[in-house]
Amino acid sequence: MSSLPPRWRKVGRDLWLHKSRTLLVVAAIVVGIVGSGAVLDSWWLLRGVTREQYRASNPANATLRVDGIDGALLARVRRLPMVRQVQARRTVAASAAVEGAWRAAILFVYDDPRRIAIGGVNREDGAWPPPDGAVVVEASSREYARVGLGSTLTLQVGGGPPAALPVAGVARDVGLAPGWMENVVYAFVSRATLARLGVEPSLDELQLTVRGDAFDRDAVRRTAFAVKAEVEAAGHRVRDVDVPVPGRHVHAAQINSLLMTQGAFGVLALLSSGLLVVNLITAMLAGQVREIGVMKAIGARGGQLAAMYLVLAAALGLAACAIGLPAAAWIGRRYAELNAELLNFDLGSASLAPAIILPQLAAGALLPVLAAAVPILRGCRIAVGEALRDFGIAPPATQASRRPRSNGRLARPLLLALRNAFRRRQRTVLTLLTLAVGGAVYVGALNLRAAVRGSVDLLFGGQRFDVVVRLARPYPPLELETAARAVDGVARAEAWAGARAVVQHGDGTLGNAFALTAPPAGSPLFAPRLERGRWARAGAAELVVGRRLVDDEPGLRVGDAVPLLVAGRPSRWRVVGLVDSGPSPQAYTTREALAPLVGAGVATLLVDARLDGAAAQVDLLQRLRGELEARGLEVQSGQLMAQQRKVIEDHLLMVVAFLGIMGQLTILVGGLGLASTMSLAVLERTREIGVLRAIGARHGAILALVQVEGLVVALGGWLAALPLSLVTSVLLGEAFGRVMFRVPVRLLPDAAGVLRWLALVVVVSLLACAWPAWRATRIPTAAALAYE
Amino acid sequence: MSEPLIVMRNVSKRYGTPAGSFLALADVSLTVERGGFVAVVGQSGSGKSTLLSLLAGIDRPSQGEIWLGGTAVHLLPERALSAWRGRAVGIVFQFFQLLPTLTALENVMLPMDFCAAWPSRERRPRALALLERLGVADQADKLPATLSGGQQQRVAVARALANAPAVLLADEPTGNLDSRTAAGMLELLAVLARDGQTVVMVTHERDALRFAGRAITLVDGRVAANEALLSNVHGDAVHV
Repeated sequence: MSSLPPRWRKVGRDLWLHKSRTLLVVAAIVVGIVGSGAVLDSWWLLRGVTREQYRASNPANATLRVDGIDGALLARVRRLPMVRQVQARRTVAASAAVEGAWRAAILFVYDDPRRIAIGGVNREDGAWPPPDGAVVVEASSREYARVGLGSTLTLQVGGGPPAALPVAGVARDVGLAPGWMENVVYAFVSRATLARLGVEPSLDELQLTVRGDAFDRDAVRRTAFAVKAEVEAAGHRVRDVDVPVPGRHVHAAQINSLLMTQGAFGVLALLSSGLLVVNLITAMLAGQVREIGVMKAIGARGGQLAAMYLVLAAALGLAACAIGLPAAAWIGRRYAELNAELLNFDLGSASLAPAIILPQLAAGALLPVLAAAVPILRGCRIAVGEALRDFGIAPPATQASRRPRSNGRLARPLLLALRNAFRRRQRTVLTLLTLAVGGAVYVGALNLRAAVRGSVDLLFGGQRFDVVVRLARPYPPLELETAARAVDGVARAEAWAGARAVVQHGDGTLGNAFALTAPPAGSPLFAPRLERGRWARAGAAELVVGRRLVDDEPGLRVGDAVPLLVAGRPSRWRVVGLVDSGPSPQAYTTREALAPLVGAGVATLLVDARLDGAAAQVDLLQRLRGELEARGLEVQSGQLMAQQRKVIEDHLLMVVAFLGIMGQLTILVGGLGLASTMSLAVLERTREIGVLRAIGARHGAILALVQVEGLVVALGGWLAALPLSLVTSVLLGEAFGRVMFRVPVRLLPDAAGVLRWLALVVVVSLLACAWPAWRATRIPTAAALAYE
Repeated sequence: MSEPLIVMRNVSKRYGTPAGSFLALADVSLTVERGGFVAVVGQSGSGKSTLLSLLAGIDRPSQGEIWLGGTAVHLLPERALSAWRGRAVGIVFQFFQLLPTLTALENVMLPMDFCAAWPSRERRPRALALLERLGVADQADKLPATLSGGQQQRVAVARALANAPAVLLADEPTGNLDSRTAAGMLELLAVLARDGQTVVMVTHERDALRFAGRAITLVDGRVAANEALLSNVHGDAVHV
């Protein structure tokens, strides 16, 4: 230190002697680094893991649903020159007993689970491949199935015997949508286990990867249809062909939107932190004006002074990096784990690389330098005479006419506080803006929370039934409905038809399969909100398409005629309406319109219960299941809508809660800004406070003066946040809509939201001003009057 | 006879204030010889501090010329002023204006650091020598807040002399000192002048005149008198 030139010693000692202000600046930068760094780290981890694991899984370029795949067929397809790899799989719809009720399950069986070449499955815990007589649960279903390694999962397929199977392992298939989100228990079993469940263990899915350009969807589709022709030539029936968008994970849009939303928050956190740093550095320089004047008077050049203060700012940034970067890495990893869980990836041991840490270090060091550059350059350009004459704040007399005036109703101390709040306008505006940005995020998150709740209401609001029962095979609708009505507590029952359908494109290829659901015409149990058009008429070949399906098949426009393959049969339909039907591709028609194609039998029964409460509905489901089975109607699974809703809502609100925390963090930055502004205001007005004390102002009056001034700024921030929240609400709503499902953007906060934000800002203001106000009351009158 | 160190020709300074324009100095012309000890005296508001600010390049004249050591101060661009001031002028302020976070020694080294007038290894011994000369070497490692007013002012003078300036400008150097300490400070300035250091001091105390060689009296921004004094540090000033 002794060899250091005096000016650099001054820099170090200024930091040390003004510890509270130094800590405040460091804290502000730490908040910015943690906010943006956590988002960036999380983005890096998620992007790396989703890309890496998805590519490593070697996803299928096409999947053909084929009856009775055998070794000869596999060998025949493998010989085709355009096919790179082929494997056979079976997916079986089943039921899993969870907490006394049956939930939908899908079982996967592979021809050779030791060598899964396409759509890899990663063992996470326990055994792989699935041992005979045991089950391996898919990681994203573990929570939904309420099982863990060593516990037992009871499975049943159709009317087969239920089997309590030990859970021998946990594995993850990153190509699947999460089980908790789909309300499905995914599990892997061996062929022998499948046989034990009473199912003939043949395989029915042919998964392919192709040679040539695997990223050209049309080329892949042509190859898939050539394979289809070959398979049919071998005497097998192909039920449908699925060609996903090449190289794109099923959740690619969600991942991108999630990362975009996070990025927006990172920018906001950095912005509000930057505003605070500008304010604090300006405040710091304001306290140094006279010293700058003295240094200039003894020969310091503007450049030398600017270098001193810029190095000081960079030192603050580096100190903040030392605290903020490890914290950001920790929070980023936790948040990435949460998001990975939402998208069915495993973060595993993925770690941050220098390529993502170094830019953060540079940004952390440069943020205060950039934020401080303008105030520093302005401060260092100040004329010596002006700097030496600096004695606090004295706005030009010409501004007097714009100051708040007393109309006789405002008390003098209140008027003084109001005027004081606007004496340093730039500083006041910066403080106010920092608070407003925090408030806008907070109110935006509140709006989004309400919108998400509203959207879940909307999604489930159209589904006016409480229980869904899936049958093992189709039965006459009347038989199902009669059985259900015989159960005590059932208000209404309806049997719905359904089929898998694909769009036939003009070039002869087929689109991806989607669910075509068909309630009876005029169903009182189903009334989704139509975005466009009208509902399908009874018996007419009319379709109402879901928005997600339109995303996959943009050609489905209301009014257009469209050729479909429904359960393998060609038919022509007219699109008459558009609805928002949630995250899966769906379309709707009437049971009567579907019957000619799939037969009169249906396999889904929906019940509107007279009973409320989870326990009563679980009991109803058990009795309903008993009644159906007593009549020889084989049940595959049964589910309560309330459970489905809760699982979806819990996970969605977890994301919204994160946004709320980010909002609170930015409000904290705003509070720090207000605290620093008021501390400086007290310092600058030391002499004025002395005068007030000398003419009789008591402690309470001084305290109120500072608190009211802070409150005026805080209320300005409160007000400014309201219009700003329009922007954040739109951005958040749009981004969330892409991640999960479209939510109606809610622009205006409700009265409760506005009042909560008001209460929060008042508390933040009172806390932020407490220390400066207390310090103002501790200044002895004589010392205040002598203050230079 | 050699060239005068300071030449002011028809210098005026006008300030804009909320109440209107204010003429602080009106058509002032004067010269100061090298090694002289000039006291600028006058009532409060007479323009004496303005005159000092113009000489130091802290303010700029509204009109007229200021030459110091052959440099046209009134023409120097703002960027060059600081460097010029650091080498050519040493300033002593009424309120000392030592930087509170630096020790006495570091305060004295600071102008040498900014102007690089001395190689870095020579700065510390030179600063110590200056403090020694001013009788406050034993306070070298103390912060200004722990020093008395007189000691602070001596450190401020040492700092003003750090770069061996052509002229020492002192603005009310005794204004914040008790009478005994003030006398000691004036005696010190007189000794410096006797050793060849040009000193221009602004003061409103007539007593200070007995230490100066010339007195310039300002009244309402104009030079009312410019008189040589026969003075010594032990006797009264004699106007000639």
